[in-house]
Amino acid sequence: MKVKIFLCSLVSLFTMACDHIDENDRLIYVEPEPLQRTVLLEDFTGQKCVNCPRGTKVIEQLQEAYGEGIIAVSIHSGPLGFKGNATALGLATDLGDEYYNHWQLEYQPVGLINRHGAVNYTDWMTKVREEMTKTSTIDISLDALLSGNQITITVSEWSIGAYDGKLQIWVLEDSITATQTRHDPIDNDNVTINDKNYVHNHVLRAAVNGAWGEAVTFDANESKTQTYQLSVDAAWNTAHLSIVAFVYNDNGVEQAIRKVVR
Amino acid sequence: MLTAQGQQDVTVSGSVQSDMLLSTQNEDDKYYESGDFMTNTYLDVLLQSQYIDAGARMEYMEHPLPGFENDFKGWGVPHFWVKGKLDKVELTAGTFYEQFGSGFILRSYEERSLGIDNSLLGGRLVIKPMNGVTLKVLSGKQRHYWKWDGGLVSGADAEVSLDEWVPSLQQHDTRLSLGASWVNKYEEDEDFFWDITHRLNFPKFVNAWDVRTSLNHGPWGVLVEYAQKTQDPSYDNNYSYDNGHVAMLSGSYSKKGLSILLQAKRSENMSFRSKRSQLGTSMFINHLPAFTLDHTYTLAALYPYATQLASGEWAYQAEVGYNFKRKTPLGGKYGMNVKLNYSYVRAIQSAWFKWGSDTYYQDLNIQMTRRLTSDVKLNLMYMNQRYNKTVIEGEGGMIHSDIFVADALFQLAPSTKLRTELQYLTTRQDEHDWAFALAELSLAPHWMITVSDLWNHGDTKTHYYQGQLTYNLDSHRIQLGYGRTRAGYNCSGGVCRFVPATRGFTLSYNYNF
Repeated sequence: MKVKIFLCSLVSLFTMACDHIDENDRLIYVEPEPLQRTVLLEDFTGQKCVNCPRGTKVIEQLQEAYGEGIIAVSIHSGPLGFKGNATALGLATDLGDEYYNHWQLEYQPVGLINRHGAVNYTDWMTKVREEMTKTSTIDISLDALLSGNQITITVSEWSIGAYDGKLQIWVLEDSITATQTRHDPIDNDNVTINDKNYVHNHVLRAAVNGAWGEAVTFDANESKTQTYQLSVDAAWNTAHLSIVAFVYNDNGVEQAIRKVVR
Repeated sequence: MLTAQGQQDVTVSGSVQSDMLLSTQNEDDKYYESGDFMTNTYLDVLLQSQYIDAGARMEYMEHPLPGFENDFKGWGVPHFWVKGKLDKVELTAGTFYEQFGSGFILRSYEERSLGIDNSLLGGRLVIKPMNGVTLKVLSGKQRHYWKWDGGLVSGADAEVSLDEWVPSLQQHDTRLSLGASWVNKYEEDEDFFWDITHRLNFPKFVNAWDVRTSLNHGPWGVLVEYAQKTQDPSYDNNYSYDNGHVAMLSGSYSKKGLSILLQAKRSENMSFRSKRSQLGTSMFINHLPAFTLDHTYTLAALYPYATQLASGEWAYQAEVGYNFKRKTPLGGKYGMNVKLNYSYVRAIQSAWFKWGSDTYYQDLNIQMTRRLTSDVKLNLMYMNQRYNKTVIEGEGGMIHSDIFVADALFQLAPSTKLRTELQYLTTRQDEHDWAFALAELSLAPHWMITVSDLWNHGDTKTHYYQGQLTYNLDSHRIQLGYGRTRAGYNCSGGVCRFVPATRGFTLSYNYNF
């Protein structure tokens, strides 16, 4: 095989354009995969990360195609995260840094897709497509009700098989206007701006039940329900809050759900 | 070096290099904990005989020093090779390093301080069929830390020194050489979705070629080199199908104490890796030389430039050196050397000769070296620098700094030298002003004591102090130190790696045999 490849390489020396791909042939149509499960995409991003809006653009494409089948969470963290100062709002948190360091991430933007290792943002589309074809043994329902300053979160899980893992609950906020370093336009490497009116979505604000969630164990065909009370932080806009719940273990995320706080 | 006397002489040589860090505190660092022991250790062994050479290297980085990529961790014998030599033919099997021309389309090399080792595992044939002609053919897979998981890299190179064939060139003190290279990468197809229902159609073969010529006549020298790469959509170039190009023109003059160097380079989309989805510092097939001075003084190297391979750049460098003779008005009793260096790197546009809007880097520095007395030598440097931190590191804007360096060497006794450095960097941006002082006492032939402090007094008020004791005995060198280092970039030849802050004891051991 290698001899064949080398010979082809030699041939290509004399026919430099043999592997040239014309503009009309660069994209190959592939049938959409049926959605078998919800996919959790943890986007490790930062306001000082010039390429991070490119990751966001991929997320927007995924959301447009799969709707609620894809749950994106922007975890502002790492060396390019910004925790704010007297004049500018920062979205990075110690919680985000804890995740960033735990997963030994090296670059931004980078994502975890159902917690199966770090994935470059350019590969998210491919990996999400792979992940959404897998079936899940757990189903989750979620409700989040706002009353005064309190959010009551009710999560129910039903497992068709035995499962040992953790349940994690997060608070996200959409439509936050804050600074973002980015290319202008986003696909152009040559111009960089500090956009003060950038709108950040699905920003991780807090963990409701600890940074790593709480242990849950299921026998086959067992269901469980948990209820949590959460005080709203003064910095959050209650009109744009949502809750994400997911079940995971060392094999990755088994199921996830997102609901807007009502 | 050991020699086994038999029918043929076989010499055994090698080296040990071990750098260790025992962390004592991690208040400002999240990469390791107090008490962590880290080491990068290398053992090289080389056997040489008349017809066959062989070598191997063991590396132990199971607990690596801070700042290397995650995949750097590991240990094993990643280098093993045997080379047969017969008259004008040399055949290598195993791992090897190679460079074609200036490295525009192929440079496999090792730079331990950066964690770079992109050696090839495969075979290489070098033939010198006649004087002045060297032909190379190779094929192999690139090392990717502890794997060889990239595409197959193959190539050929021809270098012809025409002055070996044309006597009149030699008679007129003229050397003319021509070179041409070709490199091919074969990488299997993979699923990569550009949008929800379309995957990219990747070229399995990527070809790159390079042509060059160098002409030297008396004190004058000119080098022209051009390279091109076919479609190579990758992470680095945002999966662009554009071709890559790089062109370089370099001229030099050197005679009687005067040296002049002028260089210009334009590169575009020349990131060439053996794995298209790779990011970070590994798996580069090529290397574009930086047209910026690699500074050794601490503050001059505080903001080092890293070549922008994928997005491209226009880079220029000019350097003039002049040696004022001794016993002249400017040269004084002992003479004086003055060197002026200027480098400028800027964004490109698709139109070849147009600049893009951003300046990436600018460095204007002047150095003067002068012996004041028979026992005192002084080196002074002023540097004006513009460093586009956003382009190079991802954020931070343009940093404009002025740097002053005074380096004095005092011969205190026949075997005792004291070297001192005083440096100051002033800038209104980033972490503002820095100061640095160093004293290095050499007690020949065995001992050297070094103390230094890097102080940020413009922003964080942090001291980064270091003390080192070095002992040399024959071919052994051992260095014990304690200190604190700042987080920053360590660069060599335009390639950089981020090094987190450290604090702790360091021990380095080097031995050549």
